[in-house]
Amino acid sequence: MVFVFGPLFSGKREYIKNVLGYSEEDFAFCPEEAGPVLVNAQELAPNCPDLEALCEVLCAREVVSAAETGCGVVPADPVERAAREASGRLCVLLAARAEKVIRVWCGLPEVLKG
Amino acid sequence: MFTFILGGSASGKSAFAERMAAALPGPRYYIATMQPFDRECELRIARHRAQRAGLGFSTVECPMGLEKLSLPRRGTVLLECVGNLTANEMFSPQGAGDGAAEAVLRGVFHLLPQCAHLIAVGNEVFCGGADYDPSTLRYLQQMALINRGLAARADRAVEVSAGIPIFHKGAGR
Repeated sequence: MVFVFGPLFSGKREYIKNVLGYSEEDFAFCPEEAGPVLVNAQELAPNCPDLEALCEVLCAREVVSAAETGCGVVPADPVERAAREASGRLCVLLAARAEKVIRVWCGLPEVLKG
Repeated sequence: MFTFILGGSASGKSAFAERMAAALPGPRYYIATMQPFDRECELRIARHRAQRAGLGFSTVECPMGLEKLSLPRRGTVLLECVGNLTANEMFSPQGAGDGAAEAVLRGVFHLLPQCAHLIAVGNEVFCGGADYDPSTLRYLQQMALINRGLAARADRAVEVSAGIPIFHKGAGR
C-alpha cells in the first residue's frame, strides 16, 4: 500500500491521478466502496472503535490518502478533540504499514519512506 | 528567478524573504497588499515598514488587481502576501470573487516577466483540520490552488519554520 498524505487541499488526489496513474473512478470514500484508492482516510478514524483493525482493512487498498489535521489548536470540544486525535493516530499506523509514504506539500511530492 | 515562500503566522517568513530580496540587485520593489481596515492593520503595516526600512525597497500598494500592475523598472520584487491578495479579491466588492484564484495567478504571472527576481510570500494554514465554515473553506481552497500554481511555476519553493528555510524545490535543497 502507498500512503499519500499532506496538508488540506495540497494536491494529493492530483498526485494520485497524474503521477500514480489512477482516475476518478478508482476512488473510494469509505470502506464499503470498491476501488483501488481510498481517499480521505482521516474521516474514517473518528468514532472508530479499533484503529488497528481499520488500518488492516485499509492496507488491502493499493493507495490510501489522508489530510494532516493535527497542527491547529487542540479543540476545546471533547468530541472534536477525540476525532482529531484518532485521525492523527490512524495516519501513524498507515505510515508504519505502508511500503511507500509520500507527503504532498503545495503540489510537490516528497518521498518520506520507501 | 522566482521564489515562492510559505510559512505559518509569525514563522519569520517575511524577515527571511526580506533578507533574500536585500541580497539581490536593485531596484527593489515591495508590493504591499494589506488594506488598513483598522488600528490592528495599521500597527501591522507599521511593523512591516520598520522591519524593511533601510533595505532599499520602494513600496507599491496593490491590494487587488495585480494583473494591471506595471513596474517602472526591472528589478527584485517582494510580493507580500498572497493570502491577503486572495482575501481582498474574494471578499472586496470590487474583487474577483469566486474567480480569486485565477485572478491572483494571472496577476503573479503578469508580474513575473517584469522582474529579474520575484519573491512571493504565502500563508501555511492547511494543517489544522477542515472544521471551518463554508466561506472559510472556500477561501482555503482558493488559496491552496494559488499556492500549488505558484509552487509549480517557481524555481524555488521554500517553507519557513521558526525563521529557518526548508527547501522543497530548487537551490538550497
